Amino acid sequence: MLWKLLRQHISLSQLAGFFFANLFGMVIVLLSVQFYNDIKPVFTRGDSFMKKDFLIVSKRVSTLGTVIGRSNTFTEADVARLQEQPFTKGVGAFSPARFKVYAGLGIQGMQLSTAMFFESVPDRFVDTSLDGWTFREGQEEIPIIIPRNYLNLYNFGFAQSRSLPQISEGVMGMMRLDIRMSGRGQVKRMKGRIVGFSDRLNTILVPEAFMAWANRMYGDGKEALPSRLIVEVDNPADDRIAKYFKENGYETEGDKLDAGKTAWFLKVIVGIVLSVGLLISVLSFYILMLSVYLLLQKNTAKLENLLLIGYSPARVARPYQVLAVGLNLAVLGLGLLVVMLVRLQYLDFIGRIFPDISGEGSLLPALLTGGMLFLAVSALNVWAVRRKVNAIWMRR
Amino acid sequence: MNTIELQQTLPEVFAGRDSVTSDIWHRQVAFQRGQTCLVEAASGTGKSSLCSFIYGYRQDYQGIIRFDGENIRRYTVSRWVGIRKRSLSMLFQELRLFGELTAWENVQLKNALTGYADRKQIRRWFEELDIDRLRNQEIRRMSFGQQQRVAFVRALCQPFDFIFLDEPISHLDDGNGRIMSRILTEEARKQGAGVVVTSIGKHLPLDYDRIFAL
Repeated sequence: MLWKLLRQHISLSQLAGFFFANLFGMVIVLLSVQFYNDIKPVFTRGDSFMKKDFLIVSKRVSTLGTVIGRSNTFTEADVARLQEQPFTKGVGAFSPARFKVYAGLGIQGMQLSTAMFFESVPDRFVDTSLDGWTFREGQEEIPIIIPRNYLNLYNFGFAQSRSLPQISEGVMGMMRLDIRMSGRGQVKRMKGRIVGFSDRLNTILVPEAFMAWANRMYGDGKEALPSRLIVEVDNPADDRIAKYFKENGYETEGDKLDAGKTAWFLKVIVGIVLSVGLLISVLSFYILMLSVYLLLQKNTAKLENLLLIGYSPARVARPYQVLAVGLNLAVLGLGLLVVMLVRLQYLDFIGRIFPDISGEGSLLPALLTGGMLFLAVSALNVWAVRRKVNAIWMRR
Repeated sequence: MNTIELQQTLPEVFAGRDSVTSDIWHRQVAFQRGQTCLVEAASGTGKSSLCSFIYGYRQDYQGIIRFDGENIRRYTVSRWVGIRKRSLSMLFQELRLFGELTAWENVQLKNALTGYADRKQIRRWFEELDIDRLRNQEIRRMSFGQQQRVAFVRALCQPFDFIFLDEPISHLDDGNGRIMSRILTEEARKQGAGVVVTSIGKHLPLDYDRIFAL
């Protein structure tokens, strides 16, 4: 009966306006969050065990430099200056092995063996959650990260020409390499286990702790200056970086910057779209608030009478609160449905371009964002309606 | 609630006047539970103001109003809600019915809140006041006299210590006035409640314990 009384003056067109505006905003917000989460693995794939925004810097090797014997290593002053740059979050040096390394691998009775080299970077640049990226003295197995190119080289070059089986990343991870290290008149055999493949590091990476130990045991003693640095930056697309590197004659490794750049631009674009969606949501929230206020205003006399015959402000406010929350809930439900449908479409598309990405991820980001948006907006609605009804009570 | 005291109470609009001759304004007055009082007044002497001060929806008065010794200016919202549901009943001069609801719905809107009267009881009141045949008619299609009777029934649909009737029979004939008096007396006696009636001429025929000239 209360509802029958209070639903008068409800403007369907206003509520419909709110509904669609809010739906629009909600879908944009949810879709951008969801899309970002779905597409992110494309850019971070493979090197997910590395900190996201880093660059590998070396000094340019020039013919003249080689001829006159100019060093292309980084001095401590170089490192310190790089460290001070505003775009730098952290600098680490590649430390090379100062002993000889041979690695062997037996495939179908055929023994492949080659001279190799090891390098390490400070562990803080490697995601520590990476399985088994540790080394303790006495451990017989060394975790190794190799460039993905090496595997491609074997699979598409070597294996095909010798009709050897192709090896997937998974199988490679299960194989054990025979590592032979020599130096200072000693020889040490160990096993190598490949724990990751990198698109961006053109080196064979071992844990820092192993490198320190092995250099102490087998190294030739002299401390070499690093020829490559790993630099963690806020934003790889920052033009100050390019400028600084050019001025100093530094080089970043090839197009390795691009993935970071693209990921960064994606972030910016998603951020813009997200803000537009939020803006629409905020505006639609105003439409709803105005509509409810107008409704309350038109029903002021009735609300006053209800309060006078003993209805509490909370009770009088409730129908309007239920109306607002119900509408928000409907928007949330429909918004999620739309996001789900759209997502199915683009997942299909992404799946065709990046076969190994599809199927990952879930609707969770959209659900969480939507839920939070719903809660925040509803709480505001409930509060605003209650305040308005209280004002009607207080006015006398 | 047993007493309603007015201590030197005066509507703010009267404050500028040189002299106020009244049995209520600017005096010490108390309404006791169980008593029946009539407040007689000419138009514009503040009858409805008195009712709205006591019912807590206007505060533009000087002096103090106390319920059982407690100043009502300090009452919270929830306290007032409770009082309006259980202690004070008011038949407003302007009725404050809902025009788009039927007579029956108007009464139910109140009774649903208090759960005080049962259906049969309400039907009987409707019948006695000769508005039962109109009970499914929208209030706005009814005459003011009919509306007064509906509002009266609504005022009875709650427990009360005091019932205020602001010009209850201004548009009623004597016959209906007598019926209303009988129902009111019966209900007030049942609850042991105090009755305060205001009037500008025609009185509700009751045995008044006290008569005030406002």
